Amino acid sequence: MSEKKYKRVKITAGKRGWGGPLIIAPEPGKDLIYSVTGGGIHPLAQHIADLTGGTAFDGFSSKAGFEEIAVAVIDCGGTARVGVYPMKGVLTVEIHALKPSGPLFRFIKEDNFVSGVEIEQVELLDD
Amino acid sequence: MIKYQATITEIGPYIAEFIDHNILVLFGDQVPEELAEFSIIHDGKEMVGTLTIGDIVYLGDAEFKVLAVGEKANDNLKNLGHLILKFNGETEPEMPGDVCVEAKPMPPIEPGLVLRIEEAN
Repeated sequence: MSEKKYKRVKITAGKRGWGGPLIIAPEPGKDLIYSVTGGGIHPLAQHIADLTGGTAFDGFSSKAGFEEIAVAVIDCGGTARVGVYPMKGVLTVEIHALKPSGPLFRFIKEDNFVSGVEIEQVELLDD
Repeated sequence: MIKYQATITEIGPYIAEFIDHNILVLFGDQVPEELAEFSIIHDGKEMVGTLTIGDIVYLGDAEFKVLAVGEKANDNLKNLGHLILKFNGETEPEMPGDVCVEAKPMPPIEPGLVLRIEEAN
């Protein structure tokens, strides 16, 4: 069986965004680019999957374990999703430029969360 | 006009995290489990009208005037049945997903409670 080749990306905060940079490094068994955005796979999640070789995954239509998730992409604009994934130990990319707050704020750190992310904030690290 | 109507079906075990901050997090029944733990799950399906300032949110008989609607709030409700209600009396949404209503005590949240959003008369 041939080993799948993954590449790493670095994701930095966009204008008025917060947190990061995060290095996303999918690996065998932990390669899901987990889109929790509604309305299918978000284009940013697809882009990260395309660059890294990870698997784009729609969190609203199927179920996955946290240990399988390389990164969660959210666009909640706020209060719930923004904290739940960092709390579960999942690297989290928020599309909206926002500084985290709310009851789950204590789980959100610069090394597990980055916001204000668009396509331009995703940089390929490996050739 | 009733813009949205739903009956609460399930209560996540950790919703107190948010209720203590006067926040309710609601999701439709397609929600992933990790979000359901913090959420109030309901059976709402169709969004009839766009939420705007001045609408009234009913939780059972208790009514709350809508004071602010974040730019993401209508998409969230339409696509996911997802609603962040903040009972904080603010007229500016702190987050794009927020719907801010009057700072009044919320009723006990339990299965069977009906959520209704109506246009003000």
